[in-house]
Amino acid sequence: MLFSSITFLFLFLPIVLAVYYMVPAKAKNIVLLAASIVFYAWGEPIYIFLMLLSILLNYFCGRDIYRKWEDPVKGKRSVVFAVAANVLILAFFKYYGFLIENLNGILPTDIPYRELELPIGLSFYTFQGLSYIIDIYRQKVKPQKNILNYALYICMFPQLIAGPIIRYIDIESQLTERRISAVRLGQGSMMFIRGLAKKVILANMTGEVFEQIADIPAGRLSVMMAWMGCISYAFQIYFDFSGYSDMATGLGRMFGFEFRKNFDYPYISQSITEFWRRWHISLSTWFREYVYIPLGGNRCSAVRNMVNLMIVWTLTGMWHGAAWNFIVWGVYYGVIIVMEKYVWGLSLEQLPKAVRHIYSIILILVGWVFFFSPSIGYALRYLAAMIGLGGGIADMEAWFILLTHWLLYLLAVLGSTAMGYSVIRKLAGGTSRARTVSAVVVYFGMFFVSVAFLVTGTFNPFLYFRF
Amino acid sequence: MTGDMPGIPQVMKYIVLALIVAYIVVLMLFTSGSNRPFEEVEAEIGNVIDTSALTKVDAQRLKRNFGLNSADYAGVMYYTSESSMSVDEVLLIRVRREDQIQEITDALDERISSRSSAFEEYAPEAVQLLKEAQRSVRGKYIFFAVSPDAGEYRAVFDRSL
Repeated sequence: MLFSSITFLFLFLPIVLAVYYMVPAKAKNIVLLAASIVFYAWGEPIYIFLMLLSILLNYFCGRDIYRKWEDPVKGKRSVVFAVAANVLILAFFKYYGFLIENLNGILPTDIPYRELELPIGLSFYTFQGLSYIIDIYRQKVKPQKNILNYALYICMFPQLIAGPIIRYIDIESQLTERRISAVRLGQGSMMFIRGLAKKVILANMTGEVFEQIADIPAGRLSVMMAWMGCISYAFQIYFDFSGYSDMATGLGRMFGFEFRKNFDYPYISQSITEFWRRWHISLSTWFREYVYIPLGGNRCSAVRNMVNLMIVWTLTGMWHGAAWNFIVWGVYYGVIIVMEKYVWGLSLEQLPKAVRHIYSIILILVGWVFFFSPSIGYALRYLAAMIGLGGGIADMEAWFILLTHWLLYLLAVLGSTAMGYSVIRKLAGGTSRARTVSAVVVYFGMFFVSVAFLVTGTFNPFLYFRF
Repeated sequence: MTGDMPGIPQVMKYIVLALIVAYIVVLMLFTSGSNRPFEEVEAEIGNVIDTSALTKVDAQRLKRNFGLNSADYAGVMYYTSESSMSVDEVLLIRVRREDQIQEITDALDERISSRSSAFEEYAPEAVQLLKEAQRSVRGKYIFFAVSPDAGEYRAVFDRSL
């Protein structure tokens, strides 16, 4: 079930909220867990069992590691088993087909294999499970005694299928004690509506422009059209994913949970290092905590640190999908981050702000080309078109798209910087009566426009579902 | 240190892992697709199709009946009846990307719905066939059949993967 669907907005969410607020505190977790299982099973009736088995596996692994806290050898063996089991399950569903296809490409024989669909949310809930067992091994947290609470941590519907990736350590206390109130319900609703509008209005509309441009063969794209396609995709993926994260965080707050921020205006960054501190923060944090630091982080030689960074960024690319373009995308960022750290980072800081911003935006846009391309060959042809080796400098079609969508791009620029939110806050912030009225008007307006787009539109994918 | 009975979590984690492996085996047997070339799967299904009732048609007919562009997919096989009184048809598609599956299943829903509305007044047996339509999504393969022999075609499809 999508958050941006009529069924979710007008059936599922109101019923779950009503029941959740009516039942006594002790029953709230059970209501939320049951709702989460229904939410997942709605779209993935078969893979619900995989998720439940994964919950059971990590629950028992956590308890087993805890029992071995005083025996480091046994404890290590136990955590290695748990990590290996989780990684193997993820790798099987995500990379097994990719691996055999590549083997078939290089071997003279054709190995037959059976394809399985990637279970929705597998990458997200596996990473949450791993954070749980590793933090128990590190003795940062104790295992959850109540399996229902642990199951709720893994499959809470606001964050189940596209994150943010929540570390158990950040939410442990909230599983047993959290505050719900009318104010928090209102704040959560407003955040949800902002996310919905980002997704349904800005992401879907820029996505349609991108699809239109992507239908043109890369070799025929003019420079202007190629850059417009890339910019449209950059806006689409940002509003799609940050909109989803806002909706998830808003829903969490409605149910009394506080999730950490997952996006912090990444397109205002002045370096790629800064971009990755602002983009999909929960994923970067996860890799830093559970891969980069255990590898030695930056407390080692420069060469070792470069290797660590490249490992982390290659894995980040692979996490996004089993395809060479994602691996290249990850390696691309790894190389830039190493360069910023060891080669041109200091020089970059001396440059004017505007130059640093242009530098970052260009590199981010080039990165998105690898990300959205179905193959490396297509990415290279697209990049060639961006530097004038395609269909000329500008064409009538590109001008037509620009002139008919300039307002959309303007809104997208506003929405991807703090300016958009500050406009909304000026209109609807504060506590005076007039501000309250204007908040109601602004947010209901955003909600109704979003619903109108949902009812009339046909283009409503969620890009991060496939990861 | 713990209130657990010694060894229970350790035993349980192995049992649950074994259950996961068994579950994956079941998924592989009954829901998976395969990398078998489209032409081979198409040939196996084509061999059993009753060609006296169904005719193989081209991309234009697919576009007209389902609104789908055959060029978007890795492979398309479409048989339909030439009679306007028949709802029989068999469709096999291999998608290029998994995100194309949804548009096809939506098109199949739409097709069943529109055909059911068109036939409900005067051909209840055709509506019954539409209700009993066989549909299967296995990996990148999507199979759809409306026919008195739909079950048999489906079985051939399952075996062909």
